[in-house]
Amino acid sequence: MIRRPRLPAPEDFTAPSHSPLVAARLGLWLGVAFGLCFATGLLSHFIQHPAGWFTWPTRPVNLYRVTQGVHVLSGVAAIPLLLAKLWSVYPRLFVRPPLRQPIRLSAHALERISVLVLVCAAFFELVTGLFNAAQSYPWGFFFPTAHYAVAWLVVGALLLHVAVKLPVARAALSTSLRRRSGLEATATGPDDRESAERRAFLRTSAGVAGIAVLATAGVTVPWLRRVSPLAWRSASGPQGIPINRTAAAARITVAPDWRLEIVWPGGRDTLSLAELAALPQRTAELPIACVEGWSASAHWTGVPVVELLRSAGAPTGRPVRITSLEADGLYAASTLPAAHAGDPLTLLALRINGEQLSPDHGYPCRLIAPSRPGVLQTKWVARLEVLR
Amino acid sequence: MRTVRLLLLVLGAAATAYGGWLLLPQLDAVLPWLIGGPVLHDVLVAPLVGLVGLALGRLVTDRLRLAWITAGLMASATLLLIAVPLLWRPPSAPPNPGLPDRDYPLGLAAGLAVIWAAIVIVLIVTTTEKKEP
Repeated sequence: MIRRPRLPAPEDFTAPSHSPLVAARLGLWLGVAFGLCFATGLLSHFIQHPAGWFTWPTRPVNLYRVTQGVHVLSGVAAIPLLLAKLWSVYPRLFVRPPLRQPIRLSAHALERISVLVLVCAAFFELVTGLFNAAQSYPWGFFFPTAHYAVAWLVVGALLLHVAVKLPVARAALSTSLRRRSGLEATATGPDDRESAERRAFLRTSAGVAGIAVLATAGVTVPWLRRVSPLAWRSASGPQGIPINRTAAAARITVAPDWRLEIVWPGGRDTLSLAELAALPQRTAELPIACVEGWSASAHWTGVPVVELLRSAGAPTGRPVRITSLEADGLYAASTLPAAHAGDPLTLLALRINGEQLSPDHGYPCRLIAPSRPGVLQTKWVARLEVLR
Repeated sequence: MRTVRLLLLVLGAAATAYGGWLLLPQLDAVLPWLIGGPVLHDVLVAPLVGLVGLALGRLVTDRLRLAWITAGLMASATLLLIAVPLLWRPPSAPPNPGLPDRDYPLGLAAGLAVIWAAIVIVLIVTTTEKKEP
């Protein structure tokens, strides 16, 4: 039988995976994944660009490592879930617009536009997030601001989508997947097979999401490091910790007469490396937890920033601005909030895992504070400035 | 429910507008990457998935076997997608010696091999169980 090719209609798709019962459940799971991504992403945004009302605890020391790990891994889980969801609702793409009824047509158009925004934004977030995690940049825009802006598009369009679909979704979610039409519930027929296939599609989608997480979780979960074949980063590197920015890339040269400068309102002090090393040292196990989701712990030895300020006679309990020897670059300086500046585990580290810091790790000294993104753990420190 | 829906509508519109406003300064550079996903999916990926599904349905008649092969294909496609940025890395600005620090093609091959080995084992076990009375 040869038919003239034509645009398919929703009725042409008969597979059980296109049932609203399946679409609603996938939508719910996807909502959870995107919700986790948005909440943890917002946290990471405010840690890096703190608003006045925002505070972030210093304990547990792994807190940022966990929230950012959840951010990246829930995004990875959303990849197969989004594809499964789009496959489930693909027939809806071919719904013919009600051309002769202007009111219904405008409602139809608005819904389509909101779904288009949602799908565009969802794809954008997952694709750019994945590429950024692998530190691969095939685009011309600035990733952090674009990823942040489009996150609001996803959330907005998602809320609109839920508002439109709420009655349908509620009905679908409260209907058992084992539902059989008609009264002959005991008979095994095509409907029974359909219900089995619906459940199989959902099970497979969830299973594949689990496999995707397992395949990448090694970037941040230590006991999965050897299991995850696609973790974009191992935990190894010079002195046991990976490096994002080398001293050569940052064009760092440490002068032989390098001195650390400490500045506060009404005072100033400088210390040589030998004088820093002569101060009481503290060793702490703290993670480098990168915004890209990878993280690894090391034993850092150095002077607690709060003790350093005290010994210099500077005030404590205030935010501290840390400036690098790096002349330019986005992360040449960072501001320690008062909570982190006063924490005894916030170190100006001189040693890593028992060895002197290598140039790539921030020689002569670097900041390492609990529960902070790696980009704010300033290396090659030149100056501490106590703010008001 | 009406109030909830109305509230969601207002919140959603506000968040979308905020996102759009944040995006405005780099809209030109971002736009192709925003549109690309759905176009690629709706015109290329989804029809391809449909065709593969149809062909597979004809070739494999046993329902259990079909379900497991489908699952294997879905898992493989997901791993391949995750591996794309690891295998394709346009030169980034500063040299990062620590960065491509694993053998990604080997990892991908190992992941795919594990998935298909598991599926073959499951299928052999279930078919021999079926044959036994």
